[in-house]
Amino acid sequence: MNPAPFELSMLLAILPEILLVVLAALVLLLNLGVRHRAEGVLGWLTAIGLAVIAVLSAVFARPGDTPQLIFGGMLRLDWVSFSFRLLFLLGAAITVLVSLEHARTITGEYLALLLVSTLGMSLMASSANLIMLYLAIETTSLPLYLLAGYYVENQKSVESGIKYMLYGAVTSAVMLYGFSLLFGLSGTANLAMIPFRLTQTGVSPLLVGGALFLTLVGFGFKVSAAPFHFWAPDVYEGAPTPIAGFLSTASKAAGFAVLVRVLLVTFPQLASFWTLVVAILAALSMIVGNLLALTQRNIKRLLAYSSIAQAGYILVGVAADSPLGVAGMVYYLTSYLVTNLAAFAIVWLVAQQVGSEDLDAFSGLGKRNPAIALAMLISLLSLGGIPPLSGFIGKVLVFAAAVEAGQVALAIIGVLTSVIGLYYYLTVMKILYRPAVDEAPLKPSLSWRTAMLICVVLMLALGVIVAPWYGQSLAAASALF
Amino acid sequence: MSAFQIVFLLIALLTLFSALMVVFARKTIHSAFWLILALFGVAATFATLAASFFVVIQVAVYIGAIAILIIFTVMLTRRSMEESGDQLLPGWGWAALVVLIVFGGLVFMLLQWQGIFQPPQVLTAGGENLENLGMALVMPDRYVIPFEVASVLLVAAMIGAIYVAGDHKKRS
Amino acid sequence: MLTAWLYVGIFLVVAVLLPAVAIALAGILAPKKSNPIKTSVYECGIEVVGPARVQIKAQYYIYAMVFLVFDVEMVLLFPWAVAFKQLPLFAVFEGILFLLILLGGLFYAWRKGALEWF
Repeated sequence: MNPAPFELSMLLAILPEILLVVLAALVLLLNLGVRHRAEGVLGWLTAIGLAVIAVLSAVFARPGDTPQLIFGGMLRLDWVSFSFRLLFLLGAAITVLVSLEHARTITGEYLALLLVSTLGMSLMASSANLIMLYLAIETTSLPLYLLAGYYVENQKSVESGIKYMLYGAVTSAVMLYGFSLLFGLSGTANLAMIPFRLTQTGVSPLLVGGALFLTLVGFGFKVSAAPFHFWAPDVYEGAPTPIAGFLSTASKAAGFAVLVRVLLVTFPQLASFWTLVVAILAALSMIVGNLLALTQRNIKRLLAYSSIAQAGYILVGVAADSPLGVAGMVYYLTSYLVTNLAAFAIVWLVAQQVGSEDLDAFSGLGKRNPAIALAMLISLLSLGGIPPLSGFIGKVLVFAAAVEAGQVALAIIGVLTSVIGLYYYLTVMKILYRPAVDEAPLKPSLSWRTAMLICVVLMLALGVIVAPWYGQSLAAASALF
Repeated sequence: MSAFQIVFLLIALLTLFSALMVVFARKTIHSAFWLILALFGVAATFATLAASFFVVIQVAVYIGAIAILIIFTVMLTRRSMEESGDQLLPGWGWAALVVLIVFGGLVFMLLQWQGIFQPPQVLTAGGENLENLGMALVMPDRYVIPFEVASVLLVAAMIGAIYVAGDHKKRS
Repeated sequence: MLTAWLYVGIFLVVAVLLPAVAIALAGILAPKKSNPIKTSVYECGIEVVGPARVQIKAQYYIYAMVFLVFDVEMVLLFPWAVAFKQLPLFAVFEGILFLLILLGGLFYAWRKGALEWF
């Protein structure tokens, strides 16, 4: 497929990205103009702006019947980029709304960096060129490093930012080495052209496999799959909680978008090799994440290990190397996004009130605010994969894909580790309804309640009404096969 | 061995040695100076590849700006950062093992490539064509999107740096 | 092309050797009579106060960072300027847009007081 020649109408395809830049500039400008603290207004403006961009991108940036390479093959306009872009916008909007719960902690810079990061993710999902891809990954990561260390006065937050940056820099250097080998061996940076050129010039599969392995290091870091997961617990623990939520959901989803695109488009000849590698990563993540989560006493660290395990389940879908697997991955990621964001939002609320992130801080939540306790219960059950919640559908889809692809062992490991996962989710649930000393009622702000409502409704809706988003996920999957 | 190969080996040795010294130097400021030499070695490698523009970039950006930034940062630190204790961490043996395996793997991998023992091809006879590069950067059918995204990334980095280094006591 | 770089290389070697030889010669030939005043740090003739290592202001860092950003910008705009005559109007605007985004960043830095010294 050759890139389409440039037309002005192509600007519509990147309208969401352009608007994200404009929104970020607007927020920064207003931040300069507003002398006194009016971050609440800026936050609402950002959230509403993100919603408007989502609507506009759903209307104007729709891909046609056939995927199209635009801007000289830099970007690919297809259902993958379309679906993931909506996902990122949703995640960013919820993160902003949740952050607003403590409006004084966020500033224009916070919002602008979040928007730039969202822009990077959106470009990551649509990149069809190695150079574009690398730049998109850096545009995503750099603001996130800064956001993780956003509480400059708080040593833990700074540690988290620095740790994230160091790991990120090292893994992205390794990945870039892989990219440069691919570019050097094939002579093209176009993802879809690379396999053809490699076959033409007869490059040894060992060499290509090595390059693939190097790029997988970078992607493995982004999706926090074992054995590239060491950063996750420390970073999530120290980072501002809404940012930890954003890191564990949207950033991870962006990593998966890139992962499937590169694996399926650039390395179809090595499918037998990479399915094995990804399957090993998946099994390791599921086992390591779930087992280590058992021993955690800090809720953010527990959620971090749980998110490593969830990355393992999603990788099961990738390892299947089939449309069903990719569709399952997209569905799982969507469900995981709303679920985990809700869990982190509740942690943020409770931890700010109680002043502790220990599991015990959650005791008595059932008394303090039954609705929030119920929301936490729902999101934990969804993470554990209990019907009729969205997490259940996601798990069914990826495990079905694994069985269909003949990777029964992977499906069995998945089911067994899910049981372990359920154990520690249940432990948390038990604490929610335990009596506590402090039973003062908990009153979240309007923005927080809006975000929670969106999350819970989506969790239930995705669990009950499967067809619409599953159709969307299948469309995304078919764009890659 | 041709003269070209000798020059390459000398440059490579210089670069590797200074890179090692960056790690082994006990004073941070010495590491920063060794880093400049290492970056200079990379610039020389670009020169042997007849990539003049990249030599200039390497010197102007890496030595002229990034190394200076690093030296400033070293001078920002409160104490003269000097490592007086043992420079090896307890688990260094394992790290060395992993590094050796990875290095061996990379060497084995690169040996699979036929081109590794051939001298580099001259890509463009009269040096690289800057006009083509300039065209490629801004033509909508080439690299305009990465070009514009780069500027957004640069601004984001600047905003972040100003936020991080800004005066937080004044703010609150 | 390579021979052109060869001259630069020879020049560099000479440039390093010249001061190195001078300093080494001075070290070998000079009589070694040391006293505390002789070994003290030379700072424009005035007596030295405090250690040589001081902590500089964070402002330097912000300056250097802003400089770095515009240095990278220079690298990207240089080829654009070289190709300027051949560019269609649309491509010229692309370059200007690039500049405008960075100017926005500069405006921000200015308003935030990153360019002020005190």
